[in-house]
Amino acid sequence: MHSPTLIFSSTLLIIFVLLMFPLIVSLNPSPLNKKWAISHVKTAVQTAFYVSLFPLAVFFDQGMEVITTNWHWMNIATFDINISFKFDQYSIIFTPVALYVTWSILEFASWYMHSDPNMNRFFKYLLLFLIAMITLVTANNMFQLFIGWEGVGIMSFLLIGWWYGRADANTAALQAVIYNRVGDIGLILSMAWFAMSMNTWEIQQMFASSQDNQATLPLMGLILAATGKSAQFGLHPWLPSAMEGPTPVSALLHSSTMVVAGIFLLIRLHPLMEHNQVALTTCLCLGATTTLFTAACALTQNDIKKIVAFSTSSQLGLMMVTIGLNQPQLAFLHICTHAFFKAMLFLCSGSIIHSLNDEQDIRKMGGLHTMLPLTSTCLTIGSLALTGMPFLSGFFSKDAIIEALNTSHLNAWALTLTLIATSFTAVYSFRVIFFASMGSPRFLPLSPLNENNPTVMNPIKRLAWGSILAGLFITSNFLPAKTPIMTMPTTLKLSALLVTALGLLMALELTSLTNKQLKITPTIPLHNFSNMLGYFPSVIHRLTPKIKLSLGQTMATHLIDQTWLEKVGPKGVTTTQIPLIKATNNIQQGLIKTYLTIFFLTTTLAIFLITLI
Amino acid sequence: MNPYVLAILLSSLGIGTTLTFASSHWLLAWMGLEISTLAIIPLMAQQHHPRAVEATTKYFLTQATAAAMILFASTTNAWTTGEWNIQEMSNPTALVLITMALALKIGLAPVHYWLPEVLQGLNLTTGLILSTWQKLAPFALIYQISPMMNPTLVITLGLASTIIGGWGGLNQTQLRKILAYSSIAHLGWMMIVMQYSPNLAILNLILYIAMTTATFLTFKNVTSTKLSTLTLTWSKTPMMTTMAMMTLLSLGGLPPLTGFMPKWLILQELTKQNLPLTASIMALAALLSLFFYLRMCYAMTLTIAPNTNNNASTWRQKSSQTTMTLSITTTLALTLLPITPAIMALTT
Repeated sequence: MHSPTLIFSSTLLIIFVLLMFPLIVSLNPSPLNKKWAISHVKTAVQTAFYVSLFPLAVFFDQGMEVITTNWHWMNIATFDINISFKFDQYSIIFTPVALYVTWSILEFASWYMHSDPNMNRFFKYLLLFLIAMITLVTANNMFQLFIGWEGVGIMSFLLIGWWYGRADANTAALQAVIYNRVGDIGLILSMAWFAMSMNTWEIQQMFASSQDNQATLPLMGLILAATGKSAQFGLHPWLPSAMEGPTPVSALLHSSTMVVAGIFLLIRLHPLMEHNQVALTTCLCLGATTTLFTAACALTQNDIKKIVAFSTSSQLGLMMVTIGLNQPQLAFLHICTHAFFKAMLFLCSGSIIHSLNDEQDIRKMGGLHTMLPLTSTCLTIGSLALTGMPFLSGFFSKDAIIEALNTSHLNAWALTLTLIATSFTAVYSFRVIFFASMGSPRFLPLSPLNENNPTVMNPIKRLAWGSILAGLFITSNFLPAKTPIMTMPTTLKLSALLVTALGLLMALELTSLTNKQLKITPTIPLHNFSNMLGYFPSVIHRLTPKIKLSLGQTMATHLIDQTWLEKVGPKGVTTTQIPLIKATNNIQQGLIKTYLTIFFLTTTLAIFLITLI
Repeated sequence: MNPYVLAILLSSLGIGTTLTFASSHWLLAWMGLEISTLAIIPLMAQQHHPRAVEATTKYFLTQATAAAMILFASTTNAWTTGEWNIQEMSNPTALVLITMALALKIGLAPVHYWLPEVLQGLNLTTGLILSTWQKLAPFALIYQISPMMNPTLVITLGLASTIIGGWGGLNQTQLRKILAYSSIAHLGWMMIVMQYSPNLAILNLILYIAMTTATFLTFKNVTSTKLSTLTLTWSKTPMMTTMAMMTLLSLGGLPPLTGFMPKWLILQELTKQNLPLTASIMALAALLSLFFYLRMCYAMTLTIAPNTNNNASTWRQKSSQTTMTLSITTTLALTLLPITPAIMALTT
């Protein structure tokens, strides 16, 4: 019989070959075919997806996991660095999900970026990003993971700044890179710590050596890395700014794949922090703060992409909370289900934006459910999945997380914040639907509304099927490693639904106020706080650079130039010597009596001191 | 000046110093000092203008005071110990008095005040005699009493002279005053090593005389007495400008010129006597003097002072002065460093 291990590892490596193939073709000096993007890249990803279903099936049937070490790359004394792939439950499930979503997005991008002259380069960037992401999730050692980590960071920079003629896009790309870099400091710190105290970067060895000691420093480094990459509070402003990139970029990178890399890192290395209370509490509180803060910011945004971006950030906070609860598998489940409906939300936004001739402000949309029925239906499906409508995909992950939250011994403040954020999710999702698809149209009459192109509709439909079925599919085949608590009071069990319903009702009530004026002047402060993103970017992006630049200037001018040249060096010598020189010369007044007196006094003093003492 | 008078004066000058060299009795030494003082007074005042007369008067008063003090001290010593021999002086008070008097005679700080003003009032030749020849006789006396002098006093005189010579010269533009302070500084170097190795002091004195002679004669050749006129030497004698620059640097004590030799040997001697702090202060104070020498070099070689058009071109007329002494002393001032061992053997 054919060995299952052989099929397993070979299919997974075939995926890499399939994805690399278009890139290698593009190295050919002659210009690419116009259809290269569709014929090569999209087909490659589609084929890779089908190929990745084989190992998925084998895993679901037999629970097989594989680690292949392919090449001994280099070593420093006893420290080895290899190329090795770990195909465990996380990477086997994530790879097909990522490939499915990417396939849909690439098909959508061939419609969205149709008029772009550099579409082939765009697809090449996306493909490169995908390869880096797959490298990251299948890495069995920190070095390979770091390669993937940096790869996704760079591709994010290049893709956000795709329309580099726009100053805002360049700023946003730079912001993404800088915030990611701050997180990278944490990752490098952890890698250095692992290399020094565990003498390895291989994940298996790290788990084995960490049974007895779980030091906090490397875990803090990993949490910092996750904060940077997954836009947790403190390093979050880059994610809404990243919406300057084209919609396919936002759909792929900043909703499904890249931003979950930080969370994925924590999930992969979870055994290291299982018993470290400090790290777990940090994750919990950080995640809770993120989820509430970004959900609050999403409430008053007017750009449809920004609302979805904040929604992503809020869900990432929820994933961080889950890790803080010691439930890595639930976090991973949420990553997979979230990929589907978030990508679909972005694709629907992209369809709406292009149909309204690049209008992104929700105040200028409306009534689209009659004119773009499929798009608005899928928007609704996605929002329902997001808010955790029972038995859609989001429900399986989100409800499980909230149940776990309610039934564990943890910080009550984190619990409260998460529940409030869940209700806010319903509020802003409803806001999008209300402004975009309900009511009467507020856009220009001659908008190129079009749903006839299958290139845009098929991806959305595919992702809609995924949003509906993925949760059920994965949960039914995925064995939980930790026993979920099944018994709890009814209210507690229904708490997620209750707060969501409460949020929805409140949102309905609030939207009915949009055409009434009950107060003479509105209450501005809270709105401003939310609209200005909590004033975080306004303060930090101005204060920190100003402090750093003025510190640098002080060091260069005062500390170096002024001190060494004027106080200590040449001018300092001059200023100290001149008074003495003047004193020496001013005594010479020309009076011989003075001179002789000095002689007598000196002589007397000398005689006195020498002979009598 | 009448050649006969000049002959008498110059020979008296020579006899006075020689008398002091040859004497072992204090009174005879004092007589030699007085003869040389009296001989140089008319030489100083020969031009009769008020500034020269003022310089002469000041010189006379100072030297007379110093000579009187020498007499007083030696008689005190004779009264208390009965000893007139210069090398047998033992009364401590007398020794202190003699040291201070000799300091006044040669112009060591803190009793140096007369030297810049007197030197400024003289013409360059007389100034040369004052700076070089007139130092020899008192120095002979200092050499002879050096084992008995109080160490603290000597080091104080030496340090103070070097430092004040440095600071004082930095604010001057008149060449003669600069050379006066230079003299004070060099005498400081000589004093500091006097009690450890008097021969090194003699060596320093001889080399100083050579270098200063070269400098004075250069200035006499181009008749410049100010820093500003020094800037015009290049148009009169470019070769002498170069040599003068190097002579000045030699005065400043830069290797590989001669002036480095005494400083080097003195610092070595001080280090051997376990006086590193003193050596450091001397070296740092030498930097002060170096700066005004450098300023003179800079003025001579690197600048052109504002002047009229016909001065801007070089005339290169043959000088009417004989330059044999100048060439000999310049050679000595520039090239003696490689034969340091031979010179040390000469004076040790």
